[in-house]
Amino acid sequence: MAVPWVSDLTLLAAILATLLPLCSFLVVMLFTRSHPRISAGLSIGAMSVSLLCALFLLNEHWHMEKPLEYAGRWLVSGSIEIPFGFLLDPVSLLMLAVVAVIGFLIQIYSLGYMAGDPGISRYYAFMSLFLWAMMSLVVAPTLFQLYIFWELVGLSSYLLIGFWYEKFSASQAGKKAFIMTRAGDVAMFLGMLLILLHLGNLSILEIDSPALAARMSPRLLTLSALLIFGGIIGKSAQFPLMTWLPDAMQGPTPVSALLHSSTMVAAGVYLFERLFPFFFFSPDAMTFGLFIGTLSMLLASTMALVTRDIKEIWAYSTISQLGYMIMGLDAGAFFSGAFHLTTHAAFKALLFLCSGVLIHTFETNDIYELGRKGGRSLKVPMACCCIAAGALAGLPPLSGFFSKGLILEGLADLSNPVWLIAALFGAFLTAYYAFRPIFIILFPREASGEPEVHSATSTSKDHSAGHSSSHYWLMGWPLILLAGATLCLGFLKAPLEHFMGQTALPGVKGIGHPVWLLYTEIILAVGGVGLAWMEFGRRCAQQVGFVEKIPALHRLFAERWYLDHFYGWFVDRVIDRGVSALFTQNDHRVIDGSIDGISRGTVETGRLISHMHLGMVQYRLLAMFVVMVLLAFYFFF
Amino acid sequence: MTLYTCLFYVLAVAIVTTTGIAITQRNLVHAVIYLVFSFFGSALLFYLLGAPLLAALEVIVYAGAIMVLFLFIIMMVKMESIEERMPPLGQWLPAVLCGILYLALGAVVVYTAPGSEFPLQTAMATPVELGKYLFQRHWLSIEIVSLLLLVAIIGALHLGKRKETGGTEEP
Amino acid sequence: MRIVPFGHVLLLAGLLFVMGAFCAVTRRNLVMIVLGVEIMLNAAGIAFVGSALRWGQLEGQACVFFILAVAATEVAVGLAMIVFAYRKTGSFDPAGYNQLK
Repeated sequence: MAVPWVSDLTLLAAILATLLPLCSFLVVMLFTRSHPRISAGLSIGAMSVSLLCALFLLNEHWHMEKPLEYAGRWLVSGSIEIPFGFLLDPVSLLMLAVVAVIGFLIQIYSLGYMAGDPGISRYYAFMSLFLWAMMSLVVAPTLFQLYIFWELVGLSSYLLIGFWYEKFSASQAGKKAFIMTRAGDVAMFLGMLLILLHLGNLSILEIDSPALAARMSPRLLTLSALLIFGGIIGKSAQFPLMTWLPDAMQGPTPVSALLHSSTMVAAGVYLFERLFPFFFFSPDAMTFGLFIGTLSMLLASTMALVTRDIKEIWAYSTISQLGYMIMGLDAGAFFSGAFHLTTHAAFKALLFLCSGVLIHTFETNDIYELGRKGGRSLKVPMACCCIAAGALAGLPPLSGFFSKGLILEGLADLSNPVWLIAALFGAFLTAYYAFRPIFIILFPREASGEPEVHSATSTSKDHSAGHSSSHYWLMGWPLILLAGATLCLGFLKAPLEHFMGQTALPGVKGIGHPVWLLYTEIILAVGGVGLAWMEFGRRCAQQVGFVEKIPALHRLFAERWYLDHFYGWFVDRVIDRGVSALFTQNDHRVIDGSIDGISRGTVETGRLISHMHLGMVQYRLLAMFVVMVLLAFYFFF
Repeated sequence: MTLYTCLFYVLAVAIVTTTGIAITQRNLVHAVIYLVFSFFGSALLFYLLGAPLLAALEVIVYAGAIMVLFLFIIMMVKMESIEERMPPLGQWLPAVLCGILYLALGAVVVYTAPGSEFPLQTAMATPVELGKYLFQRHWLSIEIVSLLLLVAIIGALHLGKRKETGGTEEP
Repeated sequence: MRIVPFGHVLLLAGLLFVMGAFCAVTRRNLVMIVLGVEIMLNAAGIAFVGSALRWGQLEGQACVFFILAVAATEVAVGLAMIVFAYRKTGSFDPAGYNQLK
């Protein structure tokens, strides 16, 4: 680089923003593991500087003309040169800011949530690693660098999901997350190789340019797009690989918040955004993505209807919201996906953090339990939770309403109305399942009645009083900030759209604004909330959802459409009995057999040779003679 | 065709014939006797090729000492009575094949190599010349060879010392 | 005075050598094996003397001298070993010496 990097403020900020979390990870892991306070301080300090840098970058380049790319050579192998650097354009800058903000707030929140945990240093170290990986992923200029950090994100989420590794289910969940996302990553890697073969490098800007489409035949393009989409499916927990995400709840709640809002699962959607033009060149891949997104959205929504675990509800909602984003992107509405990703990051983090406070206080995940123990007494978290759920449901003044509306508009532009109908139905379900836990917690129905509730409230007050109030407020402030963000983000639609639209991406359609769609959305959202109110909120409601009245459906949803069973069956039958039996056979027959064969052959040859020379001098003489003659031939000819 | 040429061919035929009989004889004593004649022929050949000292040594060492040693051994262990087995086919067939190959190769090499047509002229290296040459130029080798002989004597004595006769004398 | 072309001497030596080798390789008698080796050494000696005359150098004859010495040594040790082996096994058949097997 000709420009000294110190004098280039943009580059300096980018380097600081991405590298500081790594530094804090290393320092914490190497030096301050035994000092939780210092570790947390370091980690938060590094993160706040990163945050400032990210915001500075966003501010500095608000009116950017074209993407900035900084690259240094990292590895040269033959004709393939792998650069390392930064790609700063609206997509990455926005995402960087989102990651930094959410990460920072969650780290602050964790101070309260994780207080007293013996592994707090480790926690902050992994957190830093996670954020570093995610932020570097966001600014990666090449697919290769992106892939490296993509895997690092997977690794650190594995570490964090299995953070309480002494809990069997936690370590199992960590492994599950790791392995299932890996399945997608294999596909993604193959897709990358395909692109590399045809393009010669993996620069994201070049992949996004139409040149690639000209170089690859449409079929290959579709194939590579589908393969890369496989990686997105794994990371963003879409249809076939979705079951790891609900299990990932075993980690600490702030981790879930981070995982669900802005880092791990968002990485998949982010990759889609990043390569949006590339996907856009392949209509088949787009349709496939639309299908997968719709399917996951609906499946996850139905699963969320029945579960009693509050974190699991939000996890399913994450899957379905990611499905929405992918639908929006696949419909060609680039900005809608990106915008929904941003707003979703805010309200989903908020939802998780609120439920984190509830769980932390009452030490249960069950929504009925939470209600019974007096969840409504925690005013701030409940209020924030309501705001976030409203955003999730898509109620008008909140951010989710705007972003979801954009997606619906994008879908409305498609010729096939099936997608739009599915999305609208999903919106209805979303509103229903978002408010179901809220009403259950707010209006606990126990056989007894008001007095019981009062006593529960009083006990919970004792409980929270016993809990130090400083911790409570450490957790409270991020909630309030995020709630503010949830409220306001929707009104930033226009400037953000302007910002994102600056580097005009090919294929972004002009989005029409049918008014009836807006009303339909509002009506459906309100209808969903109303249904939830009817069933759970009313004074005389039995708190039994309509799904639970149909046992077959209920079981189907509660068992996650038997996906886990299918995987279990698949692993058991096909892999254990089929493939590994084949391998066992291979071991026995081919490998053991060939080794036995070699040893037997050696013995036989030895016997043969021992026959041949019986320890007899003369045969050796004969052999010498023969060899001599042959050597003579060799030398003379 | 000079007298020497005739002499060479006569000697060559004699050597080859006696050697051929020697190696095919079942009777060991006869074989050794034929071989003694073969070595006499070789000695004459040496003389013809201008090496009188070597001719004398050939007679003394090969035909005299070595062959007599063989005879001693054969008689000592009463080997005449021992019936020798015929070698198996797998043993002599490769030997014959390789022998023929070797001879063919040798003939080809000898007749294609330049200088093999070079006619040998009679010349004589007197024993004095050869002796001086040996002891001036190769005195170290002579010493080593004598040492080798000494070691051989000791080894042979050691091997044959057990019971009865040692059975070895040294030329 | 001319004798013969050098090649003829070499051919004679080669023929003798093959005969010796054949004897050493096929005869199932230890004494004949040693005898065969002697024939081969003698053949080598003939070749050396012939080449000494061919190039007019004494080096070849010196070599024959050493070959004689080595042959004598070999016979002395070889025959002693044969006697030794005969005392062990009571046979001269090389196929009988298979204790290593």
